[in-house]
Amino acid sequence: MDLQTFDAFLASNIDIDPAIVARLTQTCRRMELKKGEFALRAGETCKHSFFVEHGLLKQYTIDEKGKEHILLFAPEYWFAANIETVHFGRPSDYFMEALEPTSILLLDQPLIDRLSEEFPAFRNFNSNLLHSQIQELQGRVTQLLSSSAEERYLDFTRRFPSLMLRVSQVQIAAYLGMTPEALSRVRRDLAKKWKK
Amino acid sequence: MHSIPGQPTFALENKGKEIKTMTTTKRIEVILSPVETHWVGDGFKVHNFIPAAPGLDMQHMDPFILLDYNAPMRVPALRIPAGVGVHPHRGFETVTLAYQGKVQHHDSAGGGGIIETGDVQWMTAARGVLHKEYYETEWSKRGGIFHMVQLWVNLPAKDKMSEPRYQAIRNADMGRRLLADGKSFVEVIAGEYDGVKGPADTHSPVMLMNARLQEGAKADFSFPSNYNTGLLVVQGSALVNGQKAPTDHFVKFANEGETFTIEAVTDDTVVLVMSGEPLREPIVSYGPFVMNTRAQIQEAFDDFNQGKFGYLED
Repeated sequence: MDLQTFDAFLASNIDIDPAIVARLTQTCRRMELKKGEFALRAGETCKHSFFVEHGLLKQYTIDEKGKEHILLFAPEYWFAANIETVHFGRPSDYFMEALEPTSILLLDQPLIDRLSEEFPAFRNFNSNLLHSQIQELQGRVTQLLSSSAEERYLDFTRRFPSLMLRVSQVQIAAYLGMTPEALSRVRRDLAKKWKK
Repeated sequence: MHSIPGQPTFALENKGKEIKTMTTTKRIEVILSPVETHWVGDGFKVHNFIPAAPGLDMQHMDPFILLDYNAPMRVPALRIPAGVGVHPHRGFETVTLAYQGKVQHHDSAGGGGIIETGDVQWMTAARGVLHKEYYETEWSKRGGIFHMVQLWVNLPAKDKMSEPRYQAIRNADMGRRLLADGKSFVEVIAGEYDGVKGPADTHSPVMLMNARLQEGAKADFSFPSNYNTGLLVVQGSALVNGQKAPTDHFVKFANEGETFTIEAVTDDTVVLVMSGEPLREPIVSYGPFVMNTRAQIQEAFDDFNQGKFGYLED
C-alpha cells in the first residue's frame, strides 16, 4: 500500500496538495501489526506519533494488581501519541496494542515541523487537533468524576457507535472506569427499559 | 432429463398443468476453490465464499448474502466450549447447517437450543436479536469432527423490521426425494424438489437442499434462470453438468438456462444446493447489520447500543 490513506486524509481536511504531502511522507515508516502486537510498550521511548490507517489501537496502563485501564481507543484515521515520550523524551507510561490487524503510519517531529512550515493550513489543523484532544480529555475527566455509569456508556456509544462490535465488553468497561459487571448491569437495565 | 452441457434440452415443467416448456442447461459461470480460512470467534474456522469470493458478492448472489463454510476439522476435547460470544443481527436470516458436530445457541429473546448433527436452524433476525453460538457442551467435552455451514439470506425491505423468529428444522422433518438408485436422495430444507417440499418458511422464493448421493447417482435440478443459483460440495466430489466439482468447491451458475445435473463421483457425496429469486433491493451492510440505506445502518447501531436488541449475558 502507498501512503494514500494519510495523504488523502489530510487533503480531505485541509486545502493542501496531496502530491506534495505524498512527497513529504514517502520516507515515513509504516508498521503492520497483528492482533495483540504492540506499537509501543510502557517503559520504552519513541519519537513517533501514530496515524492509524486501518485497524484499531488501544492505549492503556496496567496497575499493580494487574488490572488494565484504557485511556484511548484509536480506530482508523485517528492520531495517537504518547506525549510523555514523543514530546518530553521520558519512557512511555502506556502500552499501545493492536486490537485488530492494524496498519499505522509513523510520523516524526521533523515531518510535522516541515508540514507546519510549508502549509499554514496544516499548522492550524494540527493546533486544532491538539485543542480537540485537550477538550476530549477534559470531558473524560469530568465524566469520570461526575457522570453515572449509564451516562458514560451512552456517551461512549454516541462517540464510537461501531466500537461495541469491535471491542469486548471487558475492554469497554476498562475504558469507562467501571467493572465489567457494572457495564453488564447498565446494558441490562437499558434493555429492560425498551422491553416495557 | 440428463443433458449435455451447453445443449438445449426439452423437459416437462409444470407437470400438473401438462404444459410443455423449453428449458435449457444452466451455464456454469465459475467453479471456485476455497480461499484461506479465518476464525469466527474461537470456534468456527471458515472459508468465506459469499461475499468475498470473486463473482459472489451480495448483489450477484442476492438473496444469499453470506456463505461461511467450516470444512471438516478435528476439535480436541474442550472443557469450555469454543464459539462466538454475544453479537447482534438485523435485517436478514441466518441459516446454520450442522453436518458434523453440534451447535448450541442462546438469544436475547430467551430462546435457545441445540442444532444436532444433520439439523438446520433457520433464524430470522429481522428487527434484531443478540445471540451467541458455541459447540454443544457435551459434544465439546468429547471433541470430534466439526463440519458446518452458515448461510445468510437477505430479507425483503418490508420484512426487515418484522419480529425475530426461529425455525428449528430437524433432519427427520426435511422433505426427502429418493432417487433412481434407491439409496441416494435429495433432502429438501426450503422450497421444492420434484414435488417434495421443505419445511422452512421463507420470506421470498428460496430453495435450499442437500443432495446426498452414492457413487454414480445423478440428481437433476431445475430452477428459473433469473434465480441466483450455486452449490457447495461439502463431502465427496461430483460432476456438475459434466464438469468436475471437487470437495469444498463452490459452483456458481450464470443466469442462463434452468437445468443442471449433479453426478456423484464418490460414495456419500453431499452437495448443498441453493437457488433464490433475487430481491433486487439496495443492500447496505455493516458487519452484522444488512439494511437498505445508510440511515438504517446508523439506526441499527443506535438501537443496538441503546439496548433495543435486548440483553444477553456473555
